[in-house]
Amino acid sequence: MTHEDYKELLAAKALSALDAADARALTTHLEGCADCQSEMVELLDAAALLAYQAEPLEPSTKIRGQLLASVRAEVQTASRSDRVSPDVSQRDGKVLAFERPSRNIWSSLGSFGALAATLAFVALIIALAVLWQKNRTMQSELARLKAEMNQTQVQRDRERAMGELLTSPDGHMAKLSGTNVAPGAHAMLAYDKSGHAMLMAKGLPSAPEGMAYQLWYIKDNKKMPGKVFTPDAAGNGMLEDQIPAVARDAAVFAITLEPKSGVQAPTGSIYLLSSS
Amino acid sequence: MSLGVQLESAERSDVELLHAVARGDEAALARLYDAYRVILFGLLVRILNSREEAEDILQDVFIQVWRRAKDFDEKRGRPFTWLVTLARSRAIDRLRQLGARQRLATGAAQEQTEMVSDALSDTIRVAQRETVRQALAELPEEQRHTLVLAYFDGLTQSEIAAKLNAPLGTIKTRMRSGMIKLRALLGKQLENFG
Repeated sequence: MTHEDYKELLAAKALSALDAADARALTTHLEGCADCQSEMVELLDAAALLAYQAEPLEPSTKIRGQLLASVRAEVQTASRSDRVSPDVSQRDGKVLAFERPSRNIWSSLGSFGALAATLAFVALIIALAVLWQKNRTMQSELARLKAEMNQTQVQRDRERAMGELLTSPDGHMAKLSGTNVAPGAHAMLAYDKSGHAMLMAKGLPSAPEGMAYQLWYIKDNKKMPGKVFTPDAAGNGMLEDQIPAVARDAAVFAITLEPKSGVQAPTGSIYLLSSS
Repeated sequence: MSLGVQLESAERSDVELLHAVARGDEAALARLYDAYRVILFGLLVRILNSREEAEDILQDVFIQVWRRAKDFDEKRGRPFTWLVTLARSRAIDRLRQLGARQRLATGAAQEQTEMVSDALSDTIRVAQRETVRQALAELPEEQRHTLVLAYFDGLTQSEIAAKLNAPLGTIKTRMRSGMIKLRALLGKQLENFG
């Protein structure tokens, strides 16, 4: 097969639709062909996006717990197998043991009894300590999971609300792009005819102490203030607001950095701006 | 995930999450799961026609992510592509194990679709879905049909040729032309959404 013949196979490879013989031949060729590798990456990217054609579905909530439990079990197993057994280390060492002197059997039994009681007591103390520690860990994990669930619920409520806005018959969406002060930022603003609006922003720089980002509705060069929000450490932020009636049609949306309490007229740089 | 599960799926943060998973960070795995469970589960149900099988594979996919995250190389592909390819590959393997039995169970897939209550809960996902739908709509019907049979039914080119009673060469041409056009149509999408 020629290089061109292999190129003909790439699309089918991206769809996992090659017959076995072609798949084997292409795999060998790909290992040494940068040109085909590059095209393969692009075709795989395009093929991956086809996943969006499938109806999004929510799996059972138990799957997440099962997954994390499996992973934890795997970690614990790996951790146990990493520990070196003392017996093994002793077997490997070339140590000669001293011969123990013989002792009276009754005296030995008494000593063993005391030793056993001591060991049992120590074991009990250790077990209690371990249980106490486990309890604390579980309490802490429980609190963390509760907080995470609450946060996830809030997040899902927001996303659902945004999805409803976008899919409602009168839903609109505006994309905001980062300006030269925040070239990596972008945002989406969804709103309906009642003016109910939700903004999702990403890639914003951290707001300095006492400052926050403020949304603006601009119509005929008139700038109407929206709410303020503070992005998280990753630069992501979300905002729910009501668009003034006058700004609902053909308005421009902008986000500036302002004092945390918000201002009535913009004073800071524009970080995000929609097209007019 | 203060902004949202989907925004977390942006390429840069996903790469960071995968690196964290490779270091054994369980929380990072949980975040990746949260970000992609809906899109991947939808894909798996579409391929397997079974919610139960799809949940099984979904869990398996993320266990593989946990074990193989260190193999992910951002220079060789995007996190989203890596995850979808992994999920689809597992699903098609399972589909081929199951044979025609699952492929005939079209009723089951419809039932699952009806079970969705908040499927369109993510803004960017909605926008992406619409973009992909439009791109597919621009393909000639025979090309679109060929891609769908390969992608969602897991059929090989020979199987598609047999199913459609068409020459294998014709199917190969349709598949390549369709994918090249799709890549061009989705090019901007790839830039925007990483």
